[in-house]
Amino acid sequence: MSDTPLILGIETSCDETGIAVVRGRQVLSNVLSSQVDLHSRFGGVVPEVAARAHVEAIRTLTHRALAQAGVHQRDLDAVAATQGPGLAGALMVGFSYGKALSWALDRPFIGIDHMEGHLFAHLIDHESYKPPAIVLLASGGHSQIVHMRDWGDYEVVGSTIDDAAGEAFDKLARYLGLGFPGGPAIDRESEEGDPATVRFPRALPDRPYDFSFSGLKTSVTTYVRKHHAAGDLPPIPDIAASIQEAIVDVLVTKTFNAVEATGVRLVAGGGGVLANRRLRERLTAEGRERGVEVLLPSRVLCTDNGAMIGAAGIYRFGLGEITSPGAEVDSSLRLGS
Amino acid sequence: MKILAIESATASSSIALGEDRHIVASARRVDRRGHVGFLVPAIDFCFSQAGWSPDDIDVVAVDVGPGLFTGIRAGLATAQALAGAIGVPLVPVLSLDALALRAATGRRRIWAVVDTRRGELAVGPYQPAPGGVVRDGPAELVTPHGLRGLLESDSSDVLVVGDWAALPEGTLRGLHGVRTGRPRYPDAGAVLEVAHGKAERDEIPRPDEVRPQYMREPDVDINWSDFRSEGPWAK
Ligand SMILES: [Zn+2]
Repeated sequence: MSDTPLILGIETSCDETGIAVVRGRQVLSNVLSSQVDLHSRFGGVVPEVAARAHVEAIRTLTHRALAQAGVHQRDLDAVAATQGPGLAGALMVGFSYGKALSWALDRPFIGIDHMEGHLFAHLIDHESYKPPAIVLLASGGHSQIVHMRDWGDYEVVGSTIDDAAGEAFDKLARYLGLGFPGGPAIDRESEEGDPATVRFPRALPDRPYDFSFSGLKTSVTTYVRKHHAAGDLPPIPDIAASIQEAIVDVLVTKTFNAVEATGVRLVAGGGGVLANRRLRERLTAEGRERGVEVLLPSRVLCTDNGAMIGAAGIYRFGLGEITSPGAEVDSSLRLGS
Repeated sequence: MKILAIESATASSSIALGEDRHIVASARRVDRRGHVGFLVPAIDFCFSQAGWSPDDIDVVAVDVGPGLFTGIRAGLATAQALAGAIGVPLVPVLSLDALALRAATGRRRIWAVVDTRRGELAVGPYQPAPGGVVRDGPAELVTPHGLRGLLESDSSDVLVVGDWAALPEGTLRGLHGVRTGRPRYPDAGAVLEVAHGKAERDEIPRPDEVRPQYMREPDVDINWSDFRSEGPWAK
């Protein structure tokens, strides 16, 4: 084994089959089979459809990742796969595949917390990324603010009490007839819109780090119904931009609430919602204003992918942590507990 | 020919290692949950029992269903990874074929039954033949009532094997010429035997042709119908 271990990262927690070969901080390959087209006709991720697609894709994708990296499977030092949180049926595919592969190759297997994967994705893009940091994780499945005190030492300081941010985007995009996935659709539509058109309420003002997005749906539908009836409904781009502003505003405000409370001078973000143009803009601007460094992963590393699992795998492997071949997936795994 | 067989398509999961049709090690448990945790330790156990290493294997065989969706996928993902890592062919076996092979009957026609849940069963008819069984009708998905209909219209003496114990009470009551028997679940030993026959006949598909046999479209019931019809932009 060389000093910088070579690890295969497998991610199948939701609707992306992601396989990557990672050596240290270096990503040798990072292949992805997105299921967006499969799920778009349903307007959301259908668990059974996701699990089916993973098992169809995983073999070919693994071979492709190894070939693109120019490594043989025997060169791998370990295999890492997402153990949770996520959709149980989807997780089982990558987890089973990873365990069996590591067994056949006689290499350690490492089950990875998906959220820790998001935390480690930054390592790949940013040399300066290190704890302590406040990390905003927002996607279709999760919304939380994590205080990363040290590597492996996390405190979830805030989370959503109902829908995830990405879920709110999906449902509202669907309501506006903009299609799936909702985040990019609303982002696109907002480009021509005025975010100050409607001030939708920002939920949970007295809980500084927690989110709630289910009320926003009600506000939007109530607003639309009323103004549609009155015949003075603003154009969709204005409504989309206003919705986006409401979600982004809450995410940014609460992230920086955590920054203030902890005194941490580094903010990072992960998860599909972090690809949102307006959110990136606002986080960067807010950081500049407060003299806090803001690191955002490239769009590829924001969304679920194998490289982030490989990066977290490198860390866990370095600690000598190995997951038993008898382990099960844990769809409700909680970071820091 | 050394074969590793993986079966996790039903409430039971099992592993078998064998040389041709001769089983040298096996492991099995019955539990609807926990396939993912069972498989690799069981494989490891069987290899150490047999004193074999993965590179000794010539063929990996796997039950691809019909049965429980998550179990089918756990087994197939495991088998795909092993076959790929060792560099050997992957041979898919139908759960119904494996069930029927072990049906203890001399002359009765066999109906193999696998519970696929949600009130449906995968069933297939088989005829005893020298050295095994031959399916002589299509495998299909039916309700318990539908199974009763199939059995009523089958004029031969019949042995029903598989998960008939999970049928609603009375499903098979009063049927003429119908008996029930073992096994309740397919097992890896039978999967191994079926796969051995296929490998000998060179019935080896390309790896990407080995797919789960769900026999049913995914359930796509997403609870957003309220959003669909409400807005002024709804189609
Ligand atoms: Zn994620």
